[in-house]
Amino acid sequence: MSKPRVAIFDFACCEGCQLQIVNLEEDILNLIDVVDVVEWREAMSEQSHEYDIAIIEGSITREEDAKRLEVIRSRAKILIALGACATMGGLNKLKNNFDDLNEVRECVYGKDGQMPHLNTFKTKACDEVVKVDFKIHGCPIDASEFAQILRSLLVGKTPFVPDYPVCVECKANENICRYEYGEVCLGPIIRAGCGAPCPAAGRECYGCRGMVDNPNVEAAQEVMDKYNLTVHDLKQKLVLFNSK
Amino acid sequence: MSVSTVTKDQFKSFVAALVDSDQKVVGVQAKDDKFAFGELTDADNLRLDYDVTILPPKKYMLPQKETLMSFKVGGAAQTVQPDEKMVLIGVHPYDMVAINQMDTLFSQGQYDTHYMNRRNNITIIACDVVTPSENVFASSMNTATCDSGFDILLTDIGDTFVVEAATEKGEALVKTINGAKNADAADTDKRKAVQDKNVASLNKHQLECKPSDLPDLLEKSYDHPVWEEKAEMCYSCGSCNQVCPTCYCFDVQDEVNWDLKTGSRCRSWDGCLLANFATVAGNHNFREKRADRFRHRLYRKGKYVPGKIGGQIACVGCGRCISACTTKIANPVEIYNTLMEKN
Repeated sequence: MSKPRVAIFDFACCEGCQLQIVNLEEDILNLIDVVDVVEWREAMSEQSHEYDIAIIEGSITREEDAKRLEVIRSRAKILIALGACATMGGLNKLKNNFDDLNEVRECVYGKDGQMPHLNTFKTKACDEVVKVDFKIHGCPIDASEFAQILRSLLVGKTPFVPDYPVCVECKANENICRYEYGEVCLGPIIRAGCGAPCPAAGRECYGCRGMVDNPNVEAAQEVMDKYNLTVHDLKQKLVLFNSK
Repeated sequence: MSVSTVTKDQFKSFVAALVDSDQKVVGVQAKDDKFAFGELTDADNLRLDYDVTILPPKKYMLPQKETLMSFKVGGAAQTVQPDEKMVLIGVHPYDMVAINQMDTLFSQGQYDTHYMNRRNNITIIACDVVTPSENVFASSMNTATCDSGFDILLTDIGDTFVVEAATEKGEALVKTINGAKNADAADTDKRKAVQDKNVASLNKHQLECKPSDLPDLLEKSYDHPVWEEKAEMCYSCGSCNQVCPTCYCFDVQDEVNWDLKTGSRCRSWDGCLLANFATVAGNHNFREKRADRFRHRLYRKGKYVPGKIGGQIACVGCGRCISACTTKIANPVEIYNTLMEKN
C-alpha cells in the first residue's frame, strides 16, 4: 500500500506549530517513513494538489483565505487543524473583541492600514469555514502529541485527546495549585493534554488548548469571590486565547 | 518483632547509607511550601516532620502512567512487568491504611500483577504524624495510627525515634542501624503518648457518626439534595480523585510506535468526577450529570468499596481532597454530616 500523502499549509499564524513538527528532529525521519510529505512551505520547496491528509496551521482572517481553505478541504480526505489559531482562532481572535475592524487596522498598521492586501474580516477557526476532522490543540502544539495523533490516524485508531481539565495533569505532576498563590488559573476549565507545563514552571494556565466540552464557567465565576479575585480578572485571562 | 530506639542522628546516618547503596530510596521532601514523596539523593532532605504530601505514596504502586504490555498490531503481546525494588520512607498511618486497602483490592478477584509486583518490591518505613495538616480528619476515620502493612514504624519522641520492626525485611533493615538499642518501658510509654494524642487530635473536621455507620447512611441518601447543591460548583476536574490515597480507577489506552506495527498498552489514573469516566462504547455516558458523578465518589468511599473490603471505609481522613478542591466542595465530612442532619 502506498504511503498516505500529507500536505501542511499555513494561514494567519506564527508558524510556531509547524516549527514544533520540525522540532521532532530525528523523529522526522520516522515521520517520512510512514507518510509522503508532498507540500510543506516551511520545510521544503515542492508543492502538490494531491494529498490525503491536509494539516492546517493558522486562523482564517481574509476572504481569499477562506476560499483557499475550501479548495484544500475539497482535495483532502482528512483535514487536521493544527494549533490554537486553527482549532479555535487563538490569539488572532483578540481583534474580534473590537466592533470596528478599521480601527484595528489603523491601530496595527497606521495609515497603511487601508491598503487592499490588508483587507480582513473577523477571525475564524478552521471549523467555522470547513469541516475539520481532528484538532491538535495548543499554542504551540506538543510535538509528541502531534506524533501520537498522527500515528493513531495512520493505523485507523481514533486518537486519544483528553476532555478533562488541566487540573488532572497538574495534580499528577504534583504542581502546587496557582490559586494557592492567589492567581487566576484557567486550568479548571481548559482541556488537558499539554502535561501542564505552565503551572509546573510557576505560571498559571492561559487556556491555549481551549475549554473542555462542558466547562463549569458559573463555578469559575464563583471561585473568583472565594479567592478575592473578580470575574473581570477571569475574563481578562480568557480573552487571550478564548475570545469568540 | 522488635521495638528499639535510635537517635535522630543515628537514623540520618542509616538513611545516608541507604541512599549511598544500590537501593532506590524514596522519602518525603519539601516541594516549595508543601511536601511530596520523591527519590531521595541526600538524607538531609528527608522531612519526617511533614504534615501531608501533595500526592499519596500510591504513585509508587500505581503510577500516574505505566506500560502494561507491548504488542504487535494484530499479533502477540508481551506483558511488561515492573521489578524495581525500593525503600519508601515516611508513610503516615492514614496512607498506610489506604495502601493496605489497595493491597486487598488489587489482590482479590483478578490478581493485578503490575500493582502487586510493585507493592511486593517496596519496603515501607512508616512514621507517626508529627505535624497535623490543615484538613486532616484521620481521628474521625480511626486511621490516626496503624498496626500493619509497614515493615518499620517510626515514632518521633523528641531527639529519638522509637523503631518498631514488623516484618523480617524490617528486622533486617533495623539491624543495619548503628546504635539502635532495645526500647525500654519509658520509650514505649512516650510512643503511646504520641499515638494517643494523634488518635484524638488529627481531627480538623469531626465526623458526627462512626465510620461504620456510613454505608447505612448512604443507603438512604441517594436522592438527597446535597448532591445537586454541591455539584453546581463542581468543575469535574477530578482533583479530589487524583490526590486520594484510595482512588484506584484507571484508564487504558493503546499507543502505536512509528513502525505502525508495534505499540504499547498503557494505563493511567482516571477519576469518577471526570466527564467521560463512565462513557462506554456507543458514546453512552452512565453518569453524564455532574451531580451523579459527585455522588458516586462519596458512595465509593462510604459504601461501594467497603462492600469489597470487609466493611472498611475507603476514606482514610487524609484531607487531601479538601485542600485540592478549588471550589471547596469536596469535604467528605461536611457532606456525610449534612446527610445525617436531614435523615
